[in-house]
Amino acid sequence: MTISAANLPIWLASWLVWKIVPGRAAAKMAEFSHTEAGSGLDMLAAVEETTRPELRARYFRHALDELRHARLFRERAQAWSGARGRTQAVLEDSGFIASHGIRTTESLFRQLGEREFLAFVWVHEKRGAEQFDIYASLLGHDAATAAMFAEIAKDERFHIAYSRAELDRLAKAGDEAGVRGAVFKVRARRAWQLWVRLSLDFGNFMAGIWLTILYVVLLGPFSVVARAERPVGGVVPPAPRPAPADRAREMI
Amino acid sequence: MSWVLGLSGLYHDSAAVLLHDGRVVAAASEERFSRVKHDAGLPVQATRWCLAHAGITMADVTHVTWYEKPLRKFERMLVSQVANFPRSASAFRRGTFNWLTEKLWVKAAIVKELGVAPARVLFSDHHQSHAASAFYASPYAEAAVLTVDGVGEWATTSLYRGGPGGLELLGEVLFPDSIGLVYSAFTAYLGFQVNDGEYKVMGMAAYGEPRFVDEVRKVLRPREDGAFDVDLSYVSYHWSADQSYTRRLEELLGPARFPGSGFDPTTAEGKRYADIAASVQRVTEDALVAIANVLHARTGLDTLCLAGGVALNSVANRALLTRGPFARLFVQPAAGDAGGAMGAALWTWHEVMGNPRTLDTPVLPGPGLGQAWDDATIGALLTDLRVKHEVLAPDTVAVRAAADIVEGRVLGWVQGRFEWGPRALGHRSILADPRRADMKDRINARIKYRELFRPFAPSVCAGAEGRYFDVPPGGEQLAEWMLLVAPVTTDDFPATTHADGTARLHVVHAAANPLYHALLTEVGRLTGHPVVLNTSFNLKGEPIVSSPVQALATFFRSGLDVLYLGAHRVEQTGSYDG
Repeated sequence: MTISAANLPIWLASWLVWKIVPGRAAAKMAEFSHTEAGSGLDMLAAVEETTRPELRARYFRHALDELRHARLFRERAQAWSGARGRTQAVLEDSGFIASHGIRTTESLFRQLGEREFLAFVWVHEKRGAEQFDIYASLLGHDAATAAMFAEIAKDERFHIAYSRAELDRLAKAGDEAGVRGAVFKVRARRAWQLWVRLSLDFGNFMAGIWLTILYVVLLGPFSVVARAERPVGGVVPPAPRPAPADRAREMI
Repeated sequence: MSWVLGLSGLYHDSAAVLLHDGRVVAAASEERFSRVKHDAGLPVQATRWCLAHAGITMADVTHVTWYEKPLRKFERMLVSQVANFPRSASAFRRGTFNWLTEKLWVKAAIVKELGVAPARVLFSDHHQSHAASAFYASPYAEAAVLTVDGVGEWATTSLYRGGPGGLELLGEVLFPDSIGLVYSAFTAYLGFQVNDGEYKVMGMAAYGEPRFVDEVRKVLRPREDGAFDVDLSYVSYHWSADQSYTRRLEELLGPARFPGSGFDPTTAEGKRYADIAASVQRVTEDALVAIANVLHARTGLDTLCLAGGVALNSVANRALLTRGPFARLFVQPAAGDAGGAMGAALWTWHEVMGNPRTLDTPVLPGPGLGQAWDDATIGALLTDLRVKHEVLAPDTVAVRAAADIVEGRVLGWVQGRFEWGPRALGHRSILADPRRADMKDRINARIKYRELFRPFAPSVCAGAEGRYFDVPPGGEQLAEWMLLVAPVTTDDFPATTHADGTARLHVVHAAANPLYHALLTEVGRLTGHPVVLNTSFNLKGEPIVSSPVQALATFFRSGLDVLYLGAHRVEQTGSYDG
């Protein structure tokens, strides 16, 4: 693995993750598992929605790969986490998938359309392969993990190859500008989403501070009253209520 | 012609249910579309499918009813957290942020995401929705109605009388005294995920003896009036978002089980956990029977309609029938929060719109209320994916599948509309021969990749259940929807008989599911026993499959031998090479 100016930041970040922070590597594996599972779901949705039989087959194979990767990462995380409660709890709680492309009401494929979806696959798989190369180089001393990354890298090469080949086919069919535009849009969206994520993290942080101040300064004094108002136990009679038709429009 | 849509969500198990003139025509949990287990979002995809299934648009829907009152729930959260100042700081910060950015604006979200006119959006109460889902879906003109769950707005347990005049609220138990939340706290203590692992506690209980009943009763204390109190020093669900029990519970019962760690009931530690699970189960049953006695005394009725997440506890349902005062028990298949969507719609139809009940046609036509795929679509998919398959004549599917089962193969079974509720009832199931002793471990370990102690259910042809199971009188309907545990009276089915000699029974009627009934009949012809092992078609931690694509993706990642997708038969070996 050659360290270049382009991959230096990610190499440094990965080095910190894998080599320095104790326990972080297992948590990172758990996160990868979530991400891969989410990608698998995106691909399965594409299988259901594409109208092109040859791509349907590719997407299906791709989906199975991603879901297998999710399992491999989960197994590594479990193997590494040992008695570290947090990662184990994350894995236990995670079930199948927590986020990544599924909280939107439309599938990724439906949002992007076939051409941009292919561009998305190509850009993200390429990026993922580069990252996994770095991780493999940093974890070369761990034979099982290195073997896992090697297996995943093989799949990633297939994903990159078929999505690139399909984009090339579209370009040769006269849609060169469209393909270039789709790749640009995917890269731009990736940068935009990074910015949005950072902004949200900052916003959440600030909201946390303000809510803490609100809690201590404004709500704290009411705690004495609230404590005194614990409902009586047992079966209590219902409070008088308006007729259903009257209360149905009320949110309270 | 009137359409009413009920919705639940933004906590867990979001769902949409569409009524046409008071009858359910479509019902689905969002997780079946999003593939997020217990999806807590707005049920947008489920709603879209319900409308598409009925061939209508949102403009045709008279009312859209949300299953609870968001502002009252917010009030409860605020009061509870202020009362627990300052230890509730973290929960307040996270909870309030969540409420301010999402949950308080549920009406706006429904209007925006689903395209509903604001004037058509209504709100039921959480327990009112549960009660309506149980009573109005039942075939009974009059019934006592009990709803028990974690918590709704303020109520955790509600007592109703259902009759020609509708549902009359008789009384309620309020937060923080909650059977459901205490059960969930013990679920967390035993190393399982809250709102998901409760049924694992139920399964674990079969390996233990209830020797910690006195200790558990210190947490959930019975009252002389038949209700219960919670000693809040053992639990933290009223002030913490991260942990639902306190260190004091560990001082009482010993160290909590580590999430994800193995469970071996033959070790001292494993036995302790099993005994605690058995004790929690026993105390829960006692509390339910006690509150049922209160309700019976106040209504004088012989039929009980039960709803809320606790109604999915099939072991407790048996206790209610055998130890409680009621002669009959009715629970609809999605008794948890997903069912709140159905209750909200039924409440609107009957109590807001004033339509009387008619008991001649069932409100629920059967458990298969979700999406279906036709054979042409499935065939095209298999061809596109280059999956080798066999197309069977429709009248040979059951015969061929029965032969596969008897020969020891484990089947994926995807037929018709997917089920309403968390149980697989022969529409999206994994099927196998229950006579083979090794089948339980084989399916748990190599097919579903889940804990070895988890039991499987037997499906049996209606009419034959008495030969093998001790079904208590009044529990017939529960057995149809796999909501009842029954003692097994034979040694013939080691793969579906749990450690305590019981099974979560599924009785299949020909009218409800003709193809599955035909399969069971054929298995009976071949083996003398019309019984198969039936478990949900999913892998650990995933929702049950709904579409053929999901079924194939699950099939090829599992150790299943054969997949029946409609009339298409796919073998695991040699059918797909990518």
